[in-house]
Amino acid sequence: MLSRKLFKKPKNRLEGEVDSAVMQAEDRRVACPECKAIVPQATLQAQAYVCPRCGALHAMSARERILWLVDEGSFHELDADLTPIDRLGFPSYAGKLSKAQEESGEQEGVLTGTATIQGHPFALFSMNPAFIMGSMGAIVGEKITRLFEYAAEKRLPVVGYAVSGGARIQEGIFSLMQMAKTSGAVLRHSEAGLLYVVVLTHPTTGGVVASFAMEADVILAEPKALIGFAGPRVIEQTMRQKLPQGFQRAEFLMTKGFVDRIVPRNAQKQELAQLLALHQRGAMA
Amino acid sequence: MFSKILIANRGEIAVRVIRACKEMGISTVAVFSEADRDALHVSLADESYCIGPSPAKKSYLDMTAIVTVAKGCGAQAVHPGYGLLSENAAFAKLCEDHGIRFIGAPCEVMNRMGDKDAARRTMRDAGVPVIPGCDLVATAEEARREAEHIGYPLLIKARAGGGGRGIRRVFKPDALEAAFQSAAAEAQSAFGDGALYMEKLLTHVKHIEMQLLCDSFGNVLCLGERDCSMQRKNQKILEESPAVCVSPELREQLTKATVLAAKTVGYLGAGTIEYLLTQDGHFYFMEMNTRLQVEHPVTEMVTGVDLVKWQIRIACGQELNIRQEDIRIEDHAIECRINAEDTAHDFRPSCGTISMLHVPGGPWVRFDTALYQGYAIPPFYDSMIAKLIVSAHTRAEAIRKMQAALCEMVVEGVEHNAQMHIDLLCDQAFIDGTYTTDYLANRKA
Repeated sequence: MLSRKLFKKPKNRLEGEVDSAVMQAEDRRVACPECKAIVPQATLQAQAYVCPRCGALHAMSARERILWLVDEGSFHELDADLTPIDRLGFPSYAGKLSKAQEESGEQEGVLTGTATIQGHPFALFSMNPAFIMGSMGAIVGEKITRLFEYAAEKRLPVVGYAVSGGARIQEGIFSLMQMAKTSGAVLRHSEAGLLYVVVLTHPTTGGVVASFAMEADVILAEPKALIGFAGPRVIEQTMRQKLPQGFQRAEFLMTKGFVDRIVPRNAQKQELAQLLALHQRGAMA
Repeated sequence: MFSKILIANRGEIAVRVIRACKEMGISTVAVFSEADRDALHVSLADESYCIGPSPAKKSYLDMTAIVTVAKGCGAQAVHPGYGLLSENAAFAKLCEDHGIRFIGAPCEVMNRMGDKDAARRTMRDAGVPVIPGCDLVATAEEARREAEHIGYPLLIKARAGGGGRGIRRVFKPDALEAAFQSAAAEAQSAFGDGALYMEKLLTHVKHIEMQLLCDSFGNVLCLGERDCSMQRKNQKILEESPAVCVSPELREQLTKATVLAAKTVGYLGAGTIEYLLTQDGHFYFMEMNTRLQVEHPVTEMVTGVDLVKWQIRIACGQELNIRQEDIRIEDHAIECRINAEDTAHDFRPSCGTISMLHVPGGPWVRFDTALYQGYAIPPFYDSMIAKLIVSAHTRAEAIRKMQAALCEMVVEGVEHNAQMHIDLLCDQAFIDGTYTTDYLANRKA
């Protein structure tokens, strides 16, 4: 190969201005992290973010997930005006928050509300993987708690899509307290004889796994989702042991009894509709 | 048409002429010195003959040797290229005397234009503006009287001048006599002719030259101007066409003066008239070059006219089939001369073997050279090893193209000046086109 150093770089300035509009949403392309295929964003979006080549599941934002899942026009958001605050004055947290809000267009890392699937009404929450790693701060916990309280009052089942890196470290102890608070709300909803179904998506870890994500009556998971409290690298370094193949993946957890069923993304609507239909009269029925 | 032409030159211009001949179906004869046995033109021509030892004086300037080869191999014409014997009237006469056509200006025109004082007077009488000055001055006393009229600063020049010899700049009256005596002595020893004349010294001027093609039917074609103001020690290093500083009205005036000058001297073939252009838009005749110029490709690129082919056709007695109104210059061309010289050490010539050569390419990029990989550049001749020429619809685009082409060009094994060109193209004075002939001398590296 010729050395690149043979040729100089011309000092020509860019002709005209940088055109940021060139990459329009419709022709934006993404590379599949699994098979490396270059897929148009629009194609991916139309197929619920499943790679058309290898079937790998790409991350979905909270709102995209809801709009894809529920009956068209049935979603009514709750507590949309709750916004997080930097209570501890944690270094660079305020900047991270506003950046996450700007990029996601949402106030927090979880959306809650009511909707229907094939006409069956339910309350739901959907977490956002891109919002500070889907971490749980005080407002995430508060919104989840209020959703379960609302569902208990209105006698609605709850369906939740969990994805999280764990408790939000920037909110310190306030984050950790959400584990107890949400667990309490789930318990009261359950004691009212109501159904709670969770879908664990990649990755669901930390304080969320240690609280409401694992407290559902029916625990579903997306294929190959990483589910666990501490991550595999942390465990490996602490125990100084090589972990088994597929450790903490949904399939592994199902063999250990932590997950009830693995549901491919394109079968989830039907699965949830069926579960809601079967438990129309509550979890006790 | 001539069936066989001898090319009495070397390097890229010999290659350029051979290419034109090949296109026209003409057989080519190359001549070479002992140092040039491996030169490209020697292999590219149909026949080649060694005409003497390495120094040009003993080979490429040996008129008898060249004419002998031409006669011996049956060449019908000689193309002298530029430099060497191209403006030598005695050589042109020797060729004609032996029944060989000299592809260039007629001897008498060459003689008249070679005498700088006579050329100046001819042009002045024809109504072409000349630099204010005086005719020949015999003594220092006479020079002093004339200098009062011309005003200082002024130039003392030798009638037979060339190559910058016999020229003195005089800034004050008391320096005149000494300058006069030394110029006369230098001209006497250099040219065997000590006759001197004087002109006003013009500063901050543009060197603008007009390209001509004249046939034996009285057709005179002016192919626009070239701006050759980027010079180092009177050597052009970068040329462009058209010139930024020449407005359409000025171009019309220049064209008119050039056609008038060509008709006055009865010019034939390809030629160039050089003018000095002052900042207030006045132009003055400087000299006429009765030959092909190094920088002729810029004109070829913007006009689409092959000057070498037309030189040959005209010498053969053909009539120009292009009219003045067909010449429309809409594009812009730039040429950079690539010289084998060490810019870091006062531009001293650099020799060596070409270890790597990559010729820049792409649309409207032209690279005229006689280099090839493995070629050893001999130390006896001119340091110019290549000419890189580009053209584009606008000047700005041509500058970009030249930048890209210079960066792509790879000539390894010798030092050369490509980086200097890259830097020059970024200079504000170049970008806005205001550079004058003294620009490089005052430029801070």
